[in-house]
Amino acid sequence: MICAGIDAGSRTIKIVLVDAGSMGVIAKGLTDQGVAQDRLTSELFDRLLKDSKIRKKDIRKIVATGYGRNAVSIADTTITEITCHAVGVRRLVPDAMTIIDIGGEDSKLIRLDRSGKVRDFAMNDRCAAGTGRFLEVVARRLGVDVPRLGEMAAHSRNPAAISSMCVVFAETEIIGLLTAGTPVDDIVAGVQAAIAARVMSMIGRKADLPIIFTGGVAMISGMDRALESALGQKVTVAPDPQMTGALGAAILACNQVA
Amino acid sequence: MRDVPRQITLQQWDQRYEQMQKARIAQPSYGGRLSRHVEDGDERLLKLRYDNSAAALRLWNFLLTEEDRLREARDRGKKIVGTMKDLGTVPVMAYSLDDVVAFYPDGAWWIPCVMELNAGLLSIADSLGIDESFCPVRAMLGAFLTGAHFPIPELLICSVGATCDDFSAIAQRLDGLGYPILWWEIPHRRQAEPGEESVRLPGGFSAPRCQVEFVKSQLQRVRKALEEFASQHLSDEKLSAGIRKANQVRRLLAQLRRLVFTARLCPMPALEMLIAEMLAIHFCSDRDETITVLRELLDEVKGRIKDGTGLLRDDAARIFWVNPVADLQVMNLLEDCGGRICGTEYLFTHALDAIPQDLPPMDALAQMALADPMVGSSADRASRICAEIRRFHAEAVVISRIPGASHCALEGQVIGEIVQAELDVPVLEIEVPSLTDSITQALRTRLEALVEAVRERRKK
Repeated sequence: MICAGIDAGSRTIKIVLVDAGSMGVIAKGLTDQGVAQDRLTSELFDRLLKDSKIRKKDIRKIVATGYGRNAVSIADTTITEITCHAVGVRRLVPDAMTIIDIGGEDSKLIRLDRSGKVRDFAMNDRCAAGTGRFLEVVARRLGVDVPRLGEMAAHSRNPAAISSMCVVFAETEIIGLLTAGTPVDDIVAGVQAAIAARVMSMIGRKADLPIIFTGGVAMISGMDRALESALGQKVTVAPDPQMTGALGAAILACNQVA
Repeated sequence: MRDVPRQITLQQWDQRYEQMQKARIAQPSYGGRLSRHVEDGDERLLKLRYDNSAAALRLWNFLLTEEDRLREARDRGKKIVGTMKDLGTVPVMAYSLDDVVAFYPDGAWWIPCVMELNAGLLSIADSLGIDESFCPVRAMLGAFLTGAHFPIPELLICSVGATCDDFSAIAQRLDGLGYPILWWEIPHRRQAEPGEESVRLPGGFSAPRCQVEFVKSQLQRVRKALEEFASQHLSDEKLSAGIRKANQVRRLLAQLRRLVFTARLCPMPALEMLIAEMLAIHFCSDRDETITVLRELLDEVKGRIKDGTGLLRDDAARIFWVNPVADLQVMNLLEDCGGRICGTEYLFTHALDAIPQDLPPMDALAQMALADPMVGSSADRASRICAEIRRFHAEAVVISRIPGASHCALEGQVIGEIVQAELDVPVLEIEVPSLTDSITQALRTRLEALVEAVRERRKK
């Protein structure tokens, strides 16, 4: 018996197929999000099934999560990304106590209890500072690809101070820094620190360890170190961080049919 | 006419109203189809869901005809006093006089929501330099200037001191625009220091005797002003009678809250309960009718509990809600997401406590004013919230911030941390502007996640 988890995020759609018996991942896939998100999701799902040689009728249950979860017509039910990330991360890191999830358009802090249940959470989805969107804006302004930002930040010797907490104003600040001759690597490192500071404001106090970092932004090198520096605590990037929401959704789908 | 409880749309209410008419069910003078208020501009009503009881219809019509009733009162020669930033003290004094009607101009903070910004009240406030960095109660300025939402009161009374900074600024702006205000000061409540006599206030807080005496002296000024305004002597006997009437309202509300928040099945939706609770502070300009409206609601709730009927799922997450919402639709949204209200702290919990009847009336009123959760520390407020959470067995807390409201800036975090430390229940902080349409999905995700967390925690 196979179950599917679909994470319809703001920037990408992720799907994970899980064997409900072994709880092992059978297949996973990802595509860019777009206007026709329901069609994009169905296409990705069909492609994944075809590549994995799985028939549609073998899929017992589909749970959708993420920002666009209610628009996924192939889903049997929806569960919020808070719950799904918690389950997905716990599967990969069984002792996780705190989850920082930074996606394309939002960031979340999820606190778990010892049994892995959500104790509470905070979300930022009204301000682009503190999200992957900030990095995209910076990459565009600097004329580089987002994945290169981590490499650039690693070369920084003196991260620039980005004082603005608003992406629009920060962009203006970056132009000023460039004009003043600030090395680009330092600007990128400064932006990473600004995002980390924004996430820090959601935590408010020390987080319980271990802290697991997930979401698409966790794949950009240097962001984990920026968070560690802001928090003063160790931060570990989740294995396959972009897929934890979809994985959690698939596991919850399996639990529902068990 | 008690049908199976359910929540219905405005259109469905109109159909139901026709049935009630045919069944010759008596309506109050202000009764009628709910949709007529949309014709007056209250567009938001089209998007809300309502309880289907006749008692709820009466409650809504009572609320939405306040302006008409105020104008009628004036036409009948009654004098109107606006009691601002006052959560339940001066109205008790005003209603102790004959031919005086008190109302709550601050209530205009809901007009931008109910009229979906069409009245332009916030734009008027903007033009006066009171922009969106202030609480939506700034809509009151526009309401005064247009005169279109309530008759301009002959007397305005407003508390100041340990009240919201933003409200004080708005009221000062109003004063400066030619609407003179009688200010009375409420100090920040503190504990008695060594050597000072401590007074136990209704609701459980305490304050030094000197603060109670100070507030009493301030209220004496208000009493004198009211006497001059009404050309009547406001005797202790009249005040005591007014307190007894106010306590009738408070007792009804206390009973209603206890039954609704503890029933196995939710017998009255969150939205109607919010409106009902607000009656405690200003009686919606008619104290006697408030008592009738609340009695009907209470009878409906008792009947539903007796019949074993109710609304929402029986496993709905039991949510304690802190602060009233600027957009009423959010109360519906909570229920859509699988929650039900089991406990509230809408900033005026003290106005739900009985005013002591065994004290001289001015002492009793001074104590009540000082018992306001908003005039003390956030920790005080949190302690009362914790007590109520325990009392109603709430499983999670939503702290709803009001954009621009100065008390919300830091208080939510303080309350959240205290609640979590004491009770270990999930706490969610959200911000609710006057219209949430553009952020409904974001709010929905948060509320659904909270409900999911509650359900997970129920599993052993």
